[in-house]
Amino acid sequence: MVQLTGTPLSALVDEPVRIRITGLTPFQIVTLQASLKDEKENMFYSHAYYRANKVGEVDLEHDSALGGDYVGVHPMGLFWSLKPEKLSTRLLKRDVMNSPFQVQIKLCDLMLPLENQVTSTSKVSLTLERWYVAPGVTRIQVEEGRLRGALFLPSGEGPFPGVIDLFGGFGGLLEHRSSLLASRGFASLALAYWGYKDLPSQLQKIDLEYFEEASNFLLRHPKIFGPGIGVIATSKGAEIALSMAVHLKQVTATILINGPSSIYGFPHVYHGHTYQPIPYSIQFLSTNALGFIEFHGIYKEIGVEPSQSFLPIEKAHGHFLFIVGEDDKNTNSKEHAKKATEWLKRHGKNNWTLLSYSGAGHLIEPPYSPLCWASKIPNVSTPLHWGGDVIAHAAAQEHSWKEIQKFLRRHLIPMVTSQL
Amino acid sequence: MFQLTATPQNGLADEPVHIQVTGLPPSQMVTLKASLKDEKGNLFRSKAFYRANEAGEVDVERHPSLGGDYIGVHAMGLFWSLKPEKAFRRLLKRDVINDPFRVTLDLYDSVCLQDSTTAQPRASQMVQRWFSGPGVQRKQIREGRVRGALFLPPGEGPFPGIIDLFGNIGGLVEFRASLLATHGFAVLALAYFAYEDLPEKLLELDLEYFEEAANFLLAHPKIQRPGIGVISVSKGAEVALAMACYLKQVVATVCINGPNAVLDIPLRYRDLLLMPMHYHREHIQTHVSGAVRFRNGNRDPWNELNQQSVLPVEKAQGCILFIVGENDECLDSRAHAEQAMEQLKSHGRSTGKMLVYPGAGHLIEPPYAPLCFASWSTALPCPVLWGGDPVAHAAAQEHSWGEIQKFFRQHFRGTRGKL
Repeated sequence: MVQLTGTPLSALVDEPVRIRITGLTPFQIVTLQASLKDEKENMFYSHAYYRANKVGEVDLEHDSALGGDYVGVHPMGLFWSLKPEKLSTRLLKRDVMNSPFQVQIKLCDLMLPLENQVTSTSKVSLTLERWYVAPGVTRIQVEEGRLRGALFLPSGEGPFPGVIDLFGGFGGLLEHRSSLLASRGFASLALAYWGYKDLPSQLQKIDLEYFEEASNFLLRHPKIFGPGIGVIATSKGAEIALSMAVHLKQVTATILINGPSSIYGFPHVYHGHTYQPIPYSIQFLSTNALGFIEFHGIYKEIGVEPSQSFLPIEKAHGHFLFIVGEDDKNTNSKEHAKKATEWLKRHGKNNWTLLSYSGAGHLIEPPYSPLCWASKIPNVSTPLHWGGDVIAHAAAQEHSWKEIQKFLRRHLIPMVTSQL
Repeated sequence: MFQLTATPQNGLADEPVHIQVTGLPPSQMVTLKASLKDEKGNLFRSKAFYRANEAGEVDVERHPSLGGDYIGVHAMGLFWSLKPEKAFRRLLKRDVINDPFRVTLDLYDSVCLQDSTTAQPRASQMVQRWFSGPGVQRKQIREGRVRGALFLPPGEGPFPGIIDLFGNIGGLVEFRASLLATHGFAVLALAYFAYEDLPEKLLELDLEYFEEAANFLLAHPKIQRPGIGVISVSKGAEVALAMACYLKQVVATVCINGPNAVLDIPLRYRDLLLMPMHYHREHIQTHVSGAVRFRNGNRDPWNELNQQSVLPVEKAQGCILFIVGENDECLDSRAHAEQAMEQLKSHGRSTGKMLVYPGAGHLIEPPYAPLCFASWSTALPCPVLWGGDPVAHAAAQEHSWGEIQKFFRQHFRGTRGKL
């Protein structure tokens, strides 16, 4: 009798699942398909072909996929190779507290996708729950002063290290990374700064005092210990995080994922001082073979003195972790990180680490998140090409997530020294 | 005042257009956009950003595009970088006689990213792109079993005859035949399934059908004797190679991105039956866009087990030109063409020639056709990945079209008749 097992059935989304099949005929070729319906009813699918061994078993932990959405030994391949049915749809969990994503794994004889999955009948399937939050984590809607966001606290008494979580060009409030960080022991504030409630509806000048308010809010919290906080930020958020690290002494650990090394597009303002941006040079955008827009060329510094455009990051008190996807088609992250780290070196600073991932794209997310290769952002009618090679991107997500947590612990949790 | 010119305004689809802008402020950034609606109402668009020179001019033939759908100096970039508004649509002209494609060129005096209808262009031109020249005649063919359309150049002839074969798209694809006819060849666009009373699905390739078509051409008063040519792509190129091997009527064959062995379905010719190569469906991969990449189906022409499917090219009496796109995601065209060339060499034949185009994909078409990177396939629920790097693919199309015509002319020069 054919049996399909997945362990654990219910887990955090950044935890691996072990998938096994028994009871097949020896050397039988089977198709495993994963499907997921997101909160907007968009369908995502992935599939891979495996050959059973001589006793009719398949174990994704050590068996190689022969083809499909990935090849080779990839125990979590069915998860990170999920593709939207509707091209350029991004998979994003909105309600992180009350429900998991449900992933259905089906065993089929059919050779998907060549044969229509709607008609494929399968006797053998299982449903896995993928949670964005661990039991005991609490979510607090934040509406203090100007601040808008959601604070996630780990279970227990604390105190916990505090982190501000910033995303970029999507606007609104993305909570999925903060809820996971809280599940891993960090108090994380998912902070919105545009396109959310009464915040500006369009990305405008960046008022660093808003982010200073957020830092102070975190440090005031009884369950959060200081004296420093961390910032984890992607894309435009990383540009803001860089500015925060320069101006705010409280920021002692800054993680910059695929961000620029200077201020672009809109000025940063702090206590009456305006830091002028380098304008985006839209004329240098490119497109891929399907017509999706690649923005990495728009960061050219034309007619601007390098010294005046560069953020004085040598003045930052804390540590930096630069995370670069070398196949990023949205931001030329590799060049930006190189500029930033060379600048720091030139100023005699070694408070930084650079993790550069070959084949990874712009949207480096927590592990096992499907590669979002292209999707739309507000105000742009054509989808953006984010880049990334499916397998390499998945490896980058796995590796960087561990490094992110190590980095935050190392720089936020004070060393407890012996009193001997 | 801004002036946008495009010359010629009415031209053949395989002829270049010279686009110029004058009367701009010096160093002004401009956007040039092209758009086209196909016969089904699908919209295709492209754009490029230019900076006017000191004299306020932009000459697409000489000046580089700074960004957009192509970068650098590409005189015809706006045409070959056209992209469907709805992903995976393929641009294909169906009525090649009565109607051209109409491409609208718009000039904006700024860097205009959005495709909204609110921004108004400062100047517009419309160019017509025809798939047949004046005097080219089209005749619907229903002779015996033969189904297709014959395109004759103007004049008395006789003209060299060519059969044009497309692939698994099925039906009748005419635009390449009509263009070749405009260049002096009599071309029979030949359907072989999913057309009129032909089989709906391809279950077997019967070479006698194609022999009938070859004989039909050779019996035509306006077509030269004693031999015909074949131009073909993909599955059509498999058929064409088989024709070259077994039919002495075939004297010049162009195979674009085709296999050198029988694939998927058997090939029959009189009492000869060739079984297809072993195919490993479990090796097929999916591209990140969701399009299926057939290349890894492990159709390995060098494998011992597959030798009974390999076509005996050493038997071909005429010349063969293999055109290969190295970035073909549907088939490892290079491996197939190389094996065929190796086979010819080992039999002391020097009748083969191979042109390999790095960066070109599967669907190598006449010049300035937009790169079709992936498109919906009639038989499948998912799109098929064809591959290709836009710039390299465009260059391959331009170069190979000239080579194809040269190849046919060289071959037919020895025989009687006018070109």
